Amino acid sequence: MRLKKQPLLKAIWPQFFFHKHNVHLNSFYTISNYRRIWFVCIGILGASSLVPLVLATMIHYQLIQQSVDSELMLRAERLTSNAKRSVAFFIDERLDALTFTVNEMGYQNLSDNRKLKDISNNLKFGFGGITDLSVIDADGRQIAYAGPFDLEGKNYKNQPWFTQSLKTINFVSNVFTGYRDAPHIIIAVRSRTPDGSYFILRATLDIERLMQMLLSYKSSIHTDIFLINHQGVLQTPSTNFGNIFSNTPLIIPGFSTRTMVKKTTEDWDGTKTIIMGYSYISTEMADTPFILIVRKQKEGVMRAWLDLGRTFNWIIGISGVIIVIIITLLSSFMVNLLYTADEIKARTVLQMEQNCQLASIGQLAAGVAHEINNPLALISETAGYVKDLYIFGAEPKDEAEIIEHIDSILEAVERCGTITSQLLGFVRQFDIKIKKINLAQMLDNVLSFHTKEAEYRNIHVTTSLPDLPLFIETDSGKLQQILVNLVNNAFQAVETDGCLDIFVSMIKSETIEIVIKDTGCGISTENLEKIHEPFFSTKKEKMGTGLGLSITYSLVKKLQGNISVESTLGVGTIFTITLPVKIQRGNLA
Amino acid sequence: MKHTDILIVDDEKKFAGMLSKRLTLRGVSCEVCYDGNSGLEWIKKYSQAVTMILLDLQLPDIYGTQVMAGIKEINPALPVVILTGHGTENDRKECMRLGAHDFANKPLSIDNIIEVLEQIKGNPGCD
Repeated sequence: MRLKKQPLLKAIWPQFFFHKHNVHLNSFYTISNYRRIWFVCIGILGASSLVPLVLATMIHYQLIQQSVDSELMLRAERLTSNAKRSVAFFIDERLDALTFTVNEMGYQNLSDNRKLKDISNNLKFGFGGITDLSVIDADGRQIAYAGPFDLEGKNYKNQPWFTQSLKTINFVSNVFTGYRDAPHIIIAVRSRTPDGSYFILRATLDIERLMQMLLSYKSSIHTDIFLINHQGVLQTPSTNFGNIFSNTPLIIPGFSTRTMVKKTTEDWDGTKTIIMGYSYISTEMADTPFILIVRKQKEGVMRAWLDLGRTFNWIIGISGVIIVIIITLLSSFMVNLLYTADEIKARTVLQMEQNCQLASIGQLAAGVAHEINNPLALISETAGYVKDLYIFGAEPKDEAEIIEHIDSILEAVERCGTITSQLLGFVRQFDIKIKKINLAQMLDNVLSFHTKEAEYRNIHVTTSLPDLPLFIETDSGKLQQILVNLVNNAFQAVETDGCLDIFVSMIKSETIEIVIKDTGCGISTENLEKIHEPFFSTKKEKMGTGLGLSITYSLVKKLQGNISVESTLGVGTIFTITLPVKIQRGNLA
Repeated sequence: MKHTDILIVDDEKKFAGMLSKRLTLRGVSCEVCYDGNSGLEWIKKYSQAVTMILLDLQLPDIYGTQVMAGIKEINPALPVVILTGHGTENDRKECMRLGAHDFANKPLSIDNIIEVLEQIKGNPGCD
């Protein structure tokens, strides 16, 4: 069973999309392209509702991004600064302790292994983080050592850190393994022996202590905090780049005394946005080879924010789709209403035009009936009389009289025949489309139906045409209807003894002018503006439909012509029609 | 003047003549006028000596309804039968309003005309 379409469904179903082309109906539609209106409707409504929504969303998204970024950068900067201060303080404090020890104890005490051990214990106790202490002379020989490793008597002459430490008062090394084969940092303070040569008090720092310190700053798994040296080698383990001494793919940031933060995008392990804070670590006592790096993964840190943003995007997206659907349905509904109204209007006007055509045929029929009924009555009476002659036998059957009667019957029959053939020719015009017409002939045809009326009412009808036959190529049915309507109108307007003059002339090589002038009642100025409006009639009491002139106007337009009217009340009316000699076929409705 | 049964007012001379001859053959006395004004003049003179008027509408001088109104002014009781080539519905209404006895389109059988005449004769006070 077929489901019956619901009214709502029917209302929003775009019927205009399936508009069937109907040659007769199309010219009566006010709007020709409903699809375009529909698209324009959806476009404008869609743009005006979606563009602000999308713009607002984009701006909102940008603002969130910016605030997230600035918040992240601020946090990274704070974290980097704090961690840098701690690391710098850790190293500085121990360099201070060594400097104090060198100045306080002097070379004699320090070069004594036993005393050095005491000092070492005191330093470990007082400061912590120191693994061992040693005193090395200018030639790299280890004079004294206090610590857990077996390093007594070692010579450091060829060690890079030793040659560097001789050049500065205070020295901080990279992390390296050295003789003890365990990662450590060396800090060293240079001083002079009583004989004036350099010696160095060296302490190795516990790397574990440093690592713990950095770890304490690590706020989440998305944050990586570590030290690298100026060559990019890891000095403490990193979550992202592996263990100590691993090379990092990081580009070494340019030197700055201040803590710096920058945003970068990395794509070696999936595309990530990284907020990276860095700081070159230097103390008041010495420069260090360390750079503190803090890396925060934006996606990780801001996951909650980004999830919210994504949810928001979904809501906006779904809202957009719903808006588009509603706009489409609403547009379909509105355009449907327009289309349906226009269709009803077009059908009504077509019906009106057909009715008007029928009405003019009806008017013709009335004229024809009159023209035919009179000869018929004559035939009836004459034939009846001839019959009477035989039935009543009242008068002698004079053959000449009978022939005279029969001739009068034949004459009447001929009159009827002429009229019917004229009518047939006339009616046939309604079916034929464009053809070449002799204008004089058509005018005679139209006027012939009014001959009798003109005779009775003593109306003087004159036609004035050029000497040469005037041909016009146009829709003959429409032209005929125009002439019938205007001549009918004129006949209705004029009183007995009035005049109807028709002038036809070529005004340009391609244009014909037909002027229909009557001495009828005329049209008042205010009515003159309304005569081509449908249903306007001053002949309401005489059964006027008010369609004649409005249809005439539309027919003239369809024949690509123009019509104008001048009228003076009580004097008469002049209708002037201009028509192209040859109609442009493409434009014909 | 002797009594006339029917006065025919019609501009179709041949038709009026034929009808007149045929009616005469049937013992109906007839007079013919070919336009409205001469018809009215005749009636002014002999309104008491005629039984009925057979009147066409399309006349060369004045329209049939005007003739009709004129007749009714002269003698409102005089029966007028309209016989026209083509009478519109409006014409019919107008004539009946003015007091026509009957309204018929041409061609009309002569028997019908006589029938109407007999009817009028039978009921002289009908109008």
